[in-house]
Amino acid sequence: MDKILLLWEGSGLYNLSLPQFVMIVICLSLLYLAIVKKFEPLLLLPIGFGGLLANIPEAGLALSAFEQSLAVFDPAVMQTYADKLGLVLDGASKAANKEILLPAIKSLEDPVILQELKTMATAAGYTDGMLNTFYQITIASGAAPLIIFMGVGAMTDFGPLLANPRTLFLGAAAQFGIFATVLGAVGLSSLGIVDFNINQAAAIGIIGGADGPTAIYVASILAPELLGAIAVAAYSYMALVPLIQPPIMRVLTTKAERAIVMSQLRPVTKREKIIFPIAVLVLVALFLPSAAPLLGMFCLGNLMRESGVVDRLSDTAQNALINITTIFLGLAVGSKLVAHLFLTIETLGILALGIVAFGIGTATGVLMAKLMNKMSKMPINPLIGSAGVSAVPMAARVSNKVGLEANPQNFLLMHAMGPNVAGVIGSAVAAGVMIMYLS
Amino acid sequence: MHTTNLMTEGFNLMLMGMGFVFTFLTLLVIATTLMSKTILRFSKPEPVAKPVKPAASTKTQGKNTELIAAISAAIHLHRQRK
Repeated sequence: MDKILLLWEGSGLYNLSLPQFVMIVICLSLLYLAIVKKFEPLLLLPIGFGGLLANIPEAGLALSAFEQSLAVFDPAVMQTYADKLGLVLDGASKAANKEILLPAIKSLEDPVILQELKTMATAAGYTDGMLNTFYQITIASGAAPLIIFMGVGAMTDFGPLLANPRTLFLGAAAQFGIFATVLGAVGLSSLGIVDFNINQAAAIGIIGGADGPTAIYVASILAPELLGAIAVAAYSYMALVPLIQPPIMRVLTTKAERAIVMSQLRPVTKREKIIFPIAVLVLVALFLPSAAPLLGMFCLGNLMRESGVVDRLSDTAQNALINITTIFLGLAVGSKLVAHLFLTIETLGILALGIVAFGIGTATGVLMAKLMNKMSKMPINPLIGSAGVSAVPMAARVSNKVGLEANPQNFLLMHAMGPNVAGVIGSAVAAGVMIMYLS
Repeated sequence: MHTTNLMTEGFNLMLMGMGFVFTFLTLLVIATTLMSKTILRFSKPEPVAKPVKPAASTKTQGKNTELIAAISAAIHLHRQRK
């Protein structure tokens, strides 16, 4: 009978807490969105599944060795921790000891002692959970978002941008969504609704960049504790671009403006395409070294594509490598979908602010395009401005679709690709500014 | 006091961020335009791709003559044996 009781007490069902159950339901609904609604399935599927794994009771897949040891709370190991910290565990009960030890560890500020405790946990036989290892390797090191950015670079054709470089301004204008959201986030904390510091506010704002890897990269540097919510918001809203953008675009433009036909783009020579990534990198090196990791990898990928001499590398970067990285990045993000990080009022704030960021970015992009249309001789359809939020190539397709509604003969797709890839550069620059300013 | 600091910091970040994004992309527009103009000016005889093709075709022609030579030699030998 004792054995059966032991088995029962070791089961997932016995140990399942309500927050964990809620998180499992949330992760299942992410899987639903990915599989049935086709919301960015390449990422939401591994993220949702990673979240499920992270919330399996007692398995501790998302915990480090040290956190694991605290969760198990083995008396002998805890005694060694207490000795190290100079505390006395009076041994009345496990719960009483927990109340003595856990707050002391939480408020521990000396990194050397913390490191020693972690070594003790490893020595006691605890190991990092699988998802924790993935997180350390892919996100905490910054590697995975950068490798993905290289793949995105290898997939990007700068032809439309080079044919009409002024569309870069649209990519710049749409980044206003990022910074307006930062302001919104600090505003909300000033009102006392939620509690974000400036780093967290910046990491939330970058959702408005509509660029998954950039958002994860910035969040991992500025606010790792919010990474799960930020990544989920960024990827879900990217999938929702076709629903979020069109109403804003229609409100801000007249039917005549939407029907504007743009002149044919000139052909771009191969040399221009080869030199462009190098030129971008030189500018980054001169003015914004903190954006160098993101834009450097991006330019490398693009150079591999355009140079035409390393087709094998380019092919690997945009297929095999990006796919492998995506799997582990997704699982690692999933490891942050644990109850104590995700089930907070802050997450609701992040979801709300994220959609505002998308909306404002779209609006400023369209307004900028209207302004440019007024100022220049060459006609510019304001609809391509919304593509400046990045979200390649979804946003450009949305511009094309809304344009076709107003004028069935008007194909804006290639014109919208210019601001679209400009948006990628723009959000990487914005990310660089934030990292430089805040860390 | 704390909250007003946070707001000013948010404002600063916004001003600096947008300022920088626009400056950087303006520079990029200028650099790109200059680059395109220079390249288009100095590369009027359409570059690269064309000379490759004739070279390739002469190569195959060369192979063909070799092949023909080999075949005719073989036929010649065959006939001699008869």
